[in-house]
Amino acid sequence: MSVEKQDNPGLLSLLPDKEMKDHIASLRYAKMIQHALMPNPAMLKGMLKDYFILFLPRDIVSGDFYYAYCTRQKMCIAAGDCTGHGVPGALMSILGISFLNEIMQSDVNLNANRILNLMREKIMKALHQTGDYRDAQDSIDIGICIIDCPTGKLQYSGANRPLIMIRNGELSEFKPDKMTLGVAPIREASFTNLCIETKPGDSFYLFSDGFSDQFGEITDKKFKYKHFKRIIHSFEELPMEQQKQRLECAFNEWKGNTQQTDDVLIVGFQL
Amino acid sequence: MMKLKAFRIRNFRSIVDTGWQNISPDNITCLIGQNESGKTSVLESLKVFYSGIISEDVLRSDLSLPEVSCRFTIPKGWLINITDNPGTELKELLSGLTQLELTRSWIADLSSVINVSGEISQYLDSLEDAWRIYLNDVTIKLDEEMISIRDLETTFSGLIEEESDIRSKLSENEGAKSGFWLFWKKPAEVGNQKNSHFPGLKNKLNEIKKQKEEINEILLKKQLIKRAGEKWKKLEEKCTQADNHLKNISVKLEERHQKMTLLMRPVEDEEDYEWKEVLYDFRKTRSDREIRMAEIESHIAFSGYIIDGSTEEEAEKMVEEVIQSYRSHLNSAILGKKYFDYSPVFELFEDFGSLLPNRIDMEDIISGNVNVEGYKAARNFLSLAQVDYSFFQQPSSRILKQKIENLNHTLTHNFHDFWQQSIGRNNKIQIQFELDHYNASYEGKAGKPYLEFWIKDEGERLYPKQRSRGVRWFLSFYMELMASANIRDKQIVLLVDEPGVSLHARAQEDVLKVFEKIKDKIQIIYTTHSPHLVEINKLHRVLAVQRDDLDSRRSASRILDPLQLSLASPDTLTPLQSILGNPMGGEEFSSKRFNLIVNDTGSFYMLNAIILLMGFTGKVCVIPSTNVSSIPLLCNIMMGWGLDFSVLLFENDDEIQIAELLKNSVFKTDTNNKTELIIRMPENFLNSEDLLSTLDFKNHLLQSREGITVPNSVYIREKELPRNFILSRFLSNVKEGKIKATDFDEETLENFKLITGVFGELK
Repeated sequence: MSVEKQDNPGLLSLLPDKEMKDHIASLRYAKMIQHALMPNPAMLKGMLKDYFILFLPRDIVSGDFYYAYCTRQKMCIAAGDCTGHGVPGALMSILGISFLNEIMQSDVNLNANRILNLMREKIMKALHQTGDYRDAQDSIDIGICIIDCPTGKLQYSGANRPLIMIRNGELSEFKPDKMTLGVAPIREASFTNLCIETKPGDSFYLFSDGFSDQFGEITDKKFKYKHFKRIIHSFEELPMEQQKQRLECAFNEWKGNTQQTDDVLIVGFQL
Repeated sequence: MMKLKAFRIRNFRSIVDTGWQNISPDNITCLIGQNESGKTSVLESLKVFYSGIISEDVLRSDLSLPEVSCRFTIPKGWLINITDNPGTELKELLSGLTQLELTRSWIADLSSVINVSGEISQYLDSLEDAWRIYLNDVTIKLDEEMISIRDLETTFSGLIEEESDIRSKLSENEGAKSGFWLFWKKPAEVGNQKNSHFPGLKNKLNEIKKQKEEINEILLKKQLIKRAGEKWKKLEEKCTQADNHLKNISVKLEERHQKMTLLMRPVEDEEDYEWKEVLYDFRKTRSDREIRMAEIESHIAFSGYIIDGSTEEEAEKMVEEVIQSYRSHLNSAILGKKYFDYSPVFELFEDFGSLLPNRIDMEDIISGNVNVEGYKAARNFLSLAQVDYSFFQQPSSRILKQKIENLNHTLTHNFHDFWQQSIGRNNKIQIQFELDHYNASYEGKAGKPYLEFWIKDEGERLYPKQRSRGVRWFLSFYMELMASANIRDKQIVLLVDEPGVSLHARAQEDVLKVFEKIKDKIQIIYTTHSPHLVEINKLHRVLAVQRDDLDSRRSASRILDPLQLSLASPDTLTPLQSILGNPMGGEEFSSKRFNLIVNDTGSFYMLNAIILLMGFTGKVCVIPSTNVSSIPLLCNIMMGWGLDFSVLLFENDDEIQIAELLKNSVFKTDTNNKTELIIRMPENFLNSEDLLSTLDFKNHLLQSREGITVPNSVYIREKELPRNFILSRFLSNVKEGKIKATDFDEETLENFKLITGVFGELK
């Protein structure tokens, strides 16, 4: 497979060969940086019973990002989906990762919703968003979980991104606030903080909308969120790594030879 | 090295127990109170703490004996350097101490002893307690042994009686055998009748003999214990006699004190000889008793070893060892005496003992003739001028006169720094001294040098005694204090009773200037009724003295620190209220509500808005300071008015500094109280607007959607927003019901609950 095909550079193919190669090389380097900014999944090993991260960028760099921050007491896991994909999405994702780091390092005891509130302020400030219609409309949708390791209590807060929990074969969905991290038409309100008393064996899934929004080659329809939930539910008994493989297979099968619509990110973890 | 930190006075005139009273950390402490409240008693008690000399008239009518304790701050580890062979445990204790307590207590003959008290004495007492427990154990054992010996001896005498009884019976039998007729029966017949008991008696006799031998053996072994026990009883008896004798003398001492205190008249002269004998007897008996007690203790320890089977020689040796192991060679009295050598000098400023004379002979100054009039003042004067005898040995009289003139100029100049008053508009007094010699008309003194003092103004040159009482007092006072500060190598605690009574209000303020000047070298405790001698912004220096029962002169005095002034009577607080004005009426400053001082008007709006939003119904009155630096002043005012209050401080640099200042100077009482008086907000609250979440701050205060990544207070400062206006608008919106509690997010509501929780705890 050619480089262009593999990395799906899109408009880059219109550029002269030399320039295109330079751009691709530059994007690949950017991808390395973006990956380096995201946590090494291995750091979650000791903290979680099992986990997987299915990360399928649409382009070389991605607008989706995952984040993890661990102390002895607390663990923060987040899956973000920035507006757009490719380079603009990647730039937003870097902003998101940096802000999350900044917030977590300043105070590890913050509630999940407070993290999102703070993050929204930072993003709005960084993008000079004041509610004016001329403002940049970029934003980040994110689902964030804070796990208190000694008590097993999980806090969830979501900006347009839900959380799925599977307990004893039962799937539950925790709905997010219909707000994003960034300016929106309606005035900002505080994000909601949900507290979940977890039990050993509970599985949780944070994800971007890339999977459910993927158009199928045969049907030319979106995969849809209800099917996404169903497929997650159907794999729940499998170990996380196998779930990842099955999800990836299902995604590729659905996508077929069509272009990937958006970046795909699914973070699954079991306590 | 040792600096007075606090004092406690017990049973001194009208004082029963002041409790520990901290003196002001900035070295100037002011006692206020009505006449007869006990202010002077405080000064006098501190003076006698140093001198140890009291008279009967300081005793209370119940004749309880005085006790004055002082707590000093000392450098950490300093005590080790001045304590001889403290031993490991004591050394460890001493190395960590940063304060030292000394207590002077008086006994019936009004002699006194200085003891180290506090932590050191607790340690020494614990050693003493262990020693007492040891002695008690041995005493019990010895007592048991003595009972056992007595029992054995009783048994032994019983056996002897029994033995003699049996022997007499046996001898009767022997007699019958030798052939006497008993009535009509033959001796053999009688013998046969009695012979049936004969072997039994013999056996019994043997048994008794055996028992006697056994007991005798035990008694022989216990001979040493018996001897020790007998000596113990004798020693105890002597001690009891001494005790009884002391009791009898104490009755006489009490009678004498009663005469002095209740009848309020001096004891007649003719009784003095007898009285001296009584005193001598009391002291001798007390000293004898102490010796006997030591003898008993040593003997009990000795007996312990005897009981354990040691010989007398061995026991003698071991007694010394056990005493050393239990009893430190240092005790409270030894250490007290040792440490007292380093105590600051407590000096009572005596008004007219230090008045400058018109003239004084150089001879008297050189010989240190303290009895000559004005000696002290002249000495102070020369000390202030930094002049000694060699100064006057200048061979050239012209140069000497010039030097004296220069000195006079310097002295006057320095004096003017403190004495603001003028005669008329610009005519300021000048102080001068001159060296002169007696002329031939002074028989015996002709040709001898003397110093002459003048207080000049532009119009007149007058001797000190020709000047007003006020000028003379202030000059003497100035000289005494400045000289003390100059010449002493030891810390001084200067006690001044009602300084500047005869001074004009302005000159009274000059007294404070002198205090301020010397406070780094001398600690000052003074009494006053004058509002001009209390600084409005330094009420932490004030201790109020008043009677427990304001209507009775016989009731005990009590001292109220600045934070307890709410308990003081209006009359006690008169000087303070004269400088502060009277508390406003109505709701704003209230004695019926708890007053909470906050940094500024903005916080006043914010906290009142919170009170309304949360429907808080407690009696809290939020009082805004004009700015952070005015908080101590406001605290002083609240203390002066005797109102209950606390200070709410946020975690910004200014308020952190103010918190330290309040802790270290304004609220100088115990730690617990300090905590209640200063309420520190958690560190993320830099100011009152930080009680709102960023979102609520934007929505309800700024009404803007801009992203804010710094604390609200920082944002206001960086953007130079009109804080008071924003917060006042917020309060007004809350009052009008435009903003309700339900409009806030959980973060803000949590903060509101935190603050109302703080309000709820204010009592």
